[in-house]
Amino acid sequence: MTNDARTVDVMNVRNVSKKFLPNIIALESASLSVRAGEVHCLLGANGAGKSTFLKIIAGAFAPTTGEIRIDGEKVTLHSPSQAAELGISMIYQELDLVPQLTVEQNMFLGHAPARWGVLDKASRRKRARQALARVGAAFEPSVRVGELSVANQQLTAIARALTREAKIIIMDEPSAALNETELEKVFEVIRELTVQGVAVLYVSHRLGELREIGDRVTVLRGGKTIETFDVEGTGDEALVGAILGTERKLIDRQDRPPVTGGVALKVESLRGEQGLHITDFDLHFGEVSGLTGLNGSGRTSFLKSLFGARPFVGNVTLFDKPFHPRNPSHAIRAGVGLVPENRKTEGLILDAPVYKNATLPSLRGSFLARHGAMKARAIPVLEQLSTKYGRPEQAVVQLSGGNQQKVVLTKWIVNGAKLLLLDEPSRGLDIGAKADLYELVTGLAQQGAAVLIASSELEELYSACDMIWVFHEGRNIAKYNPSVTDQDTILRSQILGGAQ
Amino acid sequence: MTAAIEINKTEAEPSIGRRILSLAIEYNFIVIFLAVVVIASFLSENFLTFNNISNLFQQAAVVGVVAIGMTFVILTGNIDLSVGSLVAFTGMIVAVLMSNGMDPFLAVGATLIIGFGCGVLMGSISAIAQVPSFIVTLAGLVTFRGLTYLTTDGVPVSGLPPIFFTISSTMIPILPGFSVSSMAVIFVVLCIIAGLLLRLTVFGEYIFATGGNPEAARLSGLPTRRILVLVFGVSGLMSAIGGILLTSRLRIGQPTAAQGLELDAIAAVVLGGTSLFGGRGGVLGTFFAVMLLQVLRNIFNLLGLGSFYQMTVTGIIIIAAILLNRAIDIRKGRG
Repeated sequence: MTNDARTVDVMNVRNVSKKFLPNIIALESASLSVRAGEVHCLLGANGAGKSTFLKIIAGAFAPTTGEIRIDGEKVTLHSPSQAAELGISMIYQELDLVPQLTVEQNMFLGHAPARWGVLDKASRRKRARQALARVGAAFEPSVRVGELSVANQQLTAIARALTREAKIIIMDEPSAALNETELEKVFEVIRELTVQGVAVLYVSHRLGELREIGDRVTVLRGGKTIETFDVEGTGDEALVGAILGTERKLIDRQDRPPVTGGVALKVESLRGEQGLHITDFDLHFGEVSGLTGLNGSGRTSFLKSLFGARPFVGNVTLFDKPFHPRNPSHAIRAGVGLVPENRKTEGLILDAPVYKNATLPSLRGSFLARHGAMKARAIPVLEQLSTKYGRPEQAVVQLSGGNQQKVVLTKWIVNGAKLLLLDEPSRGLDIGAKADLYELVTGLAQQGAAVLIASSELEELYSACDMIWVFHEGRNIAKYNPSVTDQDTILRSQILGGAQ
Repeated sequence: MTAAIEINKTEAEPSIGRRILSLAIEYNFIVIFLAVVVIASFLSENFLTFNNISNLFQQAAVVGVVAIGMTFVILTGNIDLSVGSLVAFTGMIVAVLMSNGMDPFLAVGATLIIGFGCGVLMGSISAIAQVPSFIVTLAGLVTFRGLTYLTTDGVPVSGLPPIFFTISSTMIPILPGFSVSSMAVIFVVLCIIAGLLLRLTVFGEYIFATGGNPEAARLSGLPTRRILVLVFGVSGLMSAIGGILLTSRLRIGQPTAAQGLELDAIAAVVLGGTSLFGGRGGVLGTFFAVMLLQVLRNIFNLLGLGSFYQMTVTGIIIIAAILLNRAIDIRKGRG
């Protein structure tokens, strides 16, 4: 073995497991080695044990068995701050930054330079500048984090890890909140860091990203690490095979019957907040249309406007009637349902039972809440969507992400919605659950619903939609029929902002 | 992964012993209440007498009625600090109206409407201007107390018509040889109505949903603002009933009455297992917590210990109960 930095293991995790009392095995046996200066990806379906594994590495959980070595020395991690001292820094998916504080305050939260308890602001400013320069950030350390874009917040989080002399930075699905250009910027920073010898443990659902950034990839399935591959020379099929086990399923372009239904939604013009201006938009019964575009292109604003949750002016026709909802309940009564971007904060009442969540919109107008009748209405639909749950009284928080999403859909189907708006419905779902969701949505369209899906995952839209609309800076700039257009054309239109 | 396994765990039918245990944990306030009652009956032979029990209910009624309204407010994740002042205010209004010759029935009706209106006003300000209810009702606390003094320049109102006193002092036979005062009956009946309203009506479901996740409730088409306004209206109405009962029992309109009552009501609601963050809880817990606090006071009185002991021990018990509920939350994975 040579002493080349690229072959030295900075971290070596062997056979760690985690059991929660009394008998829940969250992680059975996971091993991983990370070399200095490499980007090591961690892949796995939801429920494979990724988050438990990461928490063990970051010191948030103590493993039940197994050992962790850092630079060859065996360590016992008691807390995240101790892990940070040893050079392991974790950047969480929901960035753990305090929006009201400045960039420099955030970067040195918990380890601010001080003498006799008095802040050494000059030194903090200087060190913050150095770290920000290393990640190529163009903003000042005195800016409030809440005023930064998500991408710049991500850079702040990375810079914070650098101020703690991190040897290994763990990034948990950084791409979930970033658009393609922002992600490219983060990738550049990651590449720059690896040249400096920092190792990055990168967690993602997306194969495309690890092709672009990863050196090696370890696949986790059912609480066990299955195999570590070199990214180069390993095909998608092999990776997907390792993720899913025997059950192989990639999302393929579905052959869709031609849309024959009448016009359900017609937008002559719609002007809303943040420069939203949509013209000549239409959607038919039985049609599944996708909205794609970079973040901030107006996808969410458009859906929320149609749902009455954001004000707009303009001329919209829904089901052959003029439509101008002033609030969500107007839109709901007109037959619209929204599956919002964040199912936990906007879609569900997490502590409430499954059946109550599923019937909430349809309670309107009655005086008594007849629980038996509510269950009788919810259960057939939940079953139709093959939702997995224990009892209808079970709190929805105990369900997996994919099943929670089905409960959100159920509430609109129970309420008889004919226009379904879905905002990033597949976020945080594993490959199997995503395929399941799209199958279900196209099934609903075949039964006559009009469906509009906004997503940053063009691949998913491409495989499931009858029509894809490209949004750019608040305008609908192009529409494509995916059965006669290749994906790259749509992608170029999305990034370049024009019809190709 | 943990979620999936937990689902399997709940699917298995638990044994009867386990089910009783989990019921006891869910309704721990009843267990605690019964334990305190047992202790009390050992400490003093006067405790489990019909007379004493009837007194307990009568003394608990005003705080209890107000705590019912407070339960509605807290279930939506809000708080109403104005209830003590509103009890005094409505108690004075009803007295002043009657002493000016108004028919007692009309005076009571008008007072109920005023109480409801005061609640609706505060609820509207909070919901429409999106100001935290803590601040709006804190202002209400000061304003209504001021208005209470202004009605008579701080002088108590006496000479009320005797028929008005029957609201609180009628003895209603429940069992042979056991009568309770009408105040107690009013308290219990209101508890039952409120419990049914929360459990069986759409309005009740809406309250839990709005408290559990206001944004999800709004995006499900619920009239969340109207729900908030109504909930504060209920609290105002309950304060007015409390005020009327208080004046009826004291036989005078007393402007200094019910100071700090809001804290007793909030303590009872929280002790009864209703989450201050909203979305979880109910009137049953509030009922038992109100009675528990009253029994504690009663024990101290029967033992001849002064109110300093009472306050100290009551505070400790509230903390212990909250810690217990936190522990249960964490055990259930709602930490």
